[in-house]
Amino acid sequence: MRLWLAIVICKLGKLAGRLLGGRGSSLPGKLALKICPDVLSRVKLPPQVIAISGSNGKTSTVEMVAAVLRAAGKTVAYNREGSNQIEGITTLILGNATFGGTVKADVLLMEADERYAARTFRYFSPTLFAVTNLYRDQLTRNGHPEWVFDALRPAVSGNTHLLLNADDPLSSCYAVGHDKVSWFGLEAAVAAFDAPTGIYNDGAVCPLCRAPMTYDFVHYNHIGGYRCTNCDHRRPTPDFAVTKMDLESGELVINDEVSIHLAFTSIYNVCNVLATYAVGRLCGVDSDIIRQTVDNFVLKNGRLVQFTLGAHKGTLLTSKHENSVAYDTNLRYIRQTTDPCTVMIIVDAVSRKYFTAETSWLWDIDFDLLNADHIQKVMLCGRYANDLAQRMTYTHLPPEKWCVCPSIADACEQLKAAGDEHLYVATCFSDKGKLLALVEKEDV
Amino acid sequence: MRILHLYPDEMNLYGSYANLTVLTRQWEALGQTVTVIPVKQGDTVDFTDVDLVYMGAGTERARDAVLARMQRFAKPLAAAVAAGLPLLFVGTALELLGQTITAPDGTVTNGLGIAEFAVTQTATRIVGDVLGDSGLCGEPVVGFMNKCTHLTGVTTPLISACRLGFGNAAEKDGEGWRKGNALGSELTGPLLVKNPALLRAVTEIVWNYKEIPLPETWPEEPYAAAGYAQTVQQLTLRANGG
Repeated sequence: MRLWLAIVICKLGKLAGRLLGGRGSSLPGKLALKICPDVLSRVKLPPQVIAISGSNGKTSTVEMVAAVLRAAGKTVAYNREGSNQIEGITTLILGNATFGGTVKADVLLMEADERYAARTFRYFSPTLFAVTNLYRDQLTRNGHPEWVFDALRPAVSGNTHLLLNADDPLSSCYAVGHDKVSWFGLEAAVAAFDAPTGIYNDGAVCPLCRAPMTYDFVHYNHIGGYRCTNCDHRRPTPDFAVTKMDLESGELVINDEVSIHLAFTSIYNVCNVLATYAVGRLCGVDSDIIRQTVDNFVLKNGRLVQFTLGAHKGTLLTSKHENSVAYDTNLRYIRQTTDPCTVMIIVDAVSRKYFTAETSWLWDIDFDLLNADHIQKVMLCGRYANDLAQRMTYTHLPPEKWCVCPSIADACEQLKAAGDEHLYVATCFSDKGKLLALVEKEDV
Repeated sequence: MRILHLYPDEMNLYGSYANLTVLTRQWEALGQTVTVIPVKQGDTVDFTDVDLVYMGAGTERARDAVLARMQRFAKPLAAAVAAGLPLLFVGTALELLGQTITAPDGTVTNGLGIAEFAVTQTATRIVGDVLGDSGLCGEPVVGFMNKCTHLTGVTTPLISACRLGFGNAAEKDGEGWRKGNALGSELTGPLLVKNPALLRAVTEIVWNYKEIPLPETWPEEPYAAAGYAQTVQQLTLRANGG
C-alpha cells in the first residue's frame, strides 16, 4: 500500500511540476521517500541497471549512452535533468514504474552523484557501475578527492560490474579486491605530454601506499600512465582504448577499428565518447550502432553553447567553478584554436546551490594557458573579478592583455561596440545565464 | 631569505602553495632575495639558516603519512620553534602541531607536540565561510573552513572568536593557533592571498625575527585589496543574517 501511495504521489508531483513549468525532478522523489523510505528496495528494476558517477563527464556520458541504447532498440529510463541524488533517482524510478512497482524500461540508466551515491545504492545495486574519474571538484562541498573516494566506496557492491578509467590513479583504486572490472583509457600513442601538467599534481604520490609515483605519459593534468615506485599500483591495460586521435581534425579510433568523428574536439569529449563506447559494448550493443550514434554527436545539455554578440561569434564553454581540471581543459581547448580571439571569464556566484566566497580554486587553475599569441584579450568579470585579477598578476600574461570588468553587461557592451574576433566565455552553470541573457543564442 | 616548504607535493590542497607565492613577491618587493626549499619524502631536514617553515593543507591520509615521516625531525623542529623560528602551518598541517590526533575509530597517534591542543577527527566534514578578528592584524580575517576535526585545548587562537563560521571546536569558536612566531590556521583562501593584512603581519614576524627594520611603505596590491573588501562585505552581510 505504501509502495503504491509513494508511486502515486511521485507521479502526481512530477505531473504538477511539469504543469507549473518547472523541472521539479527531485521534489516528487523526496515526497515518495517520506511515505516509503525503502521504496527503492521494493520496486522491480529492469535486468540492466547502469550507474555513471565521477567528478566530470557524468551528464554528457549518460546522454550519449541513452542515445546509444535507444539506437540499439532498447527502452531507456534515465535522469536527463541531472538530478542525481537519491531524491532525483527516486523520481526517475517511480516516474517510470507501473502502479504495481515495475519499472517499464529495458534499461535503467542513472547519473549518480559521487558523494551521495552510497545513499541510493544501499537499496539496490547497479549491474554496471561506471566511474569516469575523481578530481578536485566543488571542494567546499566535497572536501577533497580522497574524501569523495571514501564516500563513494560503499556504493560499489561486490557483484556489480565496474567500468573504471585506467588513466586516473585514484578512481582506479576501486578495482582493488573487486572481481568484475573493465577498463577504458587513452593509449600512450595519443598522449600529449611526458609528465603531469597544471598547477598541482594529484598523482605525485600513490593513493594506496603514499610512495612517489612516476608517469610514462600524460594526457592532461595527472591523467595518464602512472606507476607507483613502491607497490603494484599502475595504469592497467584498458579493454576499451583510444588508439588513434587527431584533435585538430576530430578523428578518433577506438581499439584500432572503430573510427569516430567528434563534433567537439576537447579531450573531455574524447573521454566521454570512449566511456560511452565501453558502456555500450558491455551492454551488448554492436560497435557499429555505437559508432553511428556517437559520430558527430552534439550534446544538448547546454554545456557548449554557440552565440552571437555584435559582430562576434561566441562559444560558451561551461566550466564548473571549483573544478580546476574542467577549467584547464577548456582553457587548453581555447589555446589549441588558431584564429584571433577574446576570452571572457566570469566568476560571479561561485555556486548556484550554495553561498560561498571561497576562491582558492582559482589558484589551482593554470591560467598561463591563456598566454598565447592568438588570444588577444582576457576579460575578467563578475563579483570576484578582483580575485581573478590578483590571480592573473601571478601569470606570465602581459598586463595589457587582460582587463577587469566586474559588470558582465558592461563587458558585453564593450565587445558589441568593437571587433569581430571569436569570443570564448568560460564560466559555470551558476553564471552562464547572466551571459546568455545578453547574447543571441544559436540553435544547435 | 630561506623558506622551508615541507612536502609541497602532498600538502597542496586548496591552492596552499599560493601563500608562499604572495609572500615571496612581497619580500622581493621589499628588496629581499627569496629561496623556497622544498622538502620531499626522504630529504634530510636542516633548520639552520631557515627564516620560515611552511606547510600547506593535505588530505587526512597525506597528513598522517607526513606526520609519520616528520617524527624523525620533530625534536629539532620543536627546538627551533621554541628558539623563535617563524612557522606557518595551514589547513590540516596545523593539526600536526598538537599533542595527539584521535582517528574516528579511536586510534590515538602522537602529534609533533609543539602546541598544547588535541585533535579529534570527525566522521563528517565541517565546511563553511569564516569571518573573525585576530589580534595579529588590525583587520578582520576571512577564509573558508574545510576540515573534519575538532581542535580542543587551544589557549592562544589566531582568531580570538569567529563572527561567522566554525572555529577550532565549535561554531563561533576561536580559530587557529599562535604562540610567539609560530602560527597556524585551518582556513583556506589561501589565507595570505585573501588577507593582505595577515600577509603583512607574517612578514613583520619574520622581519622582527631577522632584526630587519620594518619598511616605511608597503608594496601595493590593489586587486588583493579590492578582492578582500568584496569578501569582507559578503561575509559581514552573511554574519549579520543577510
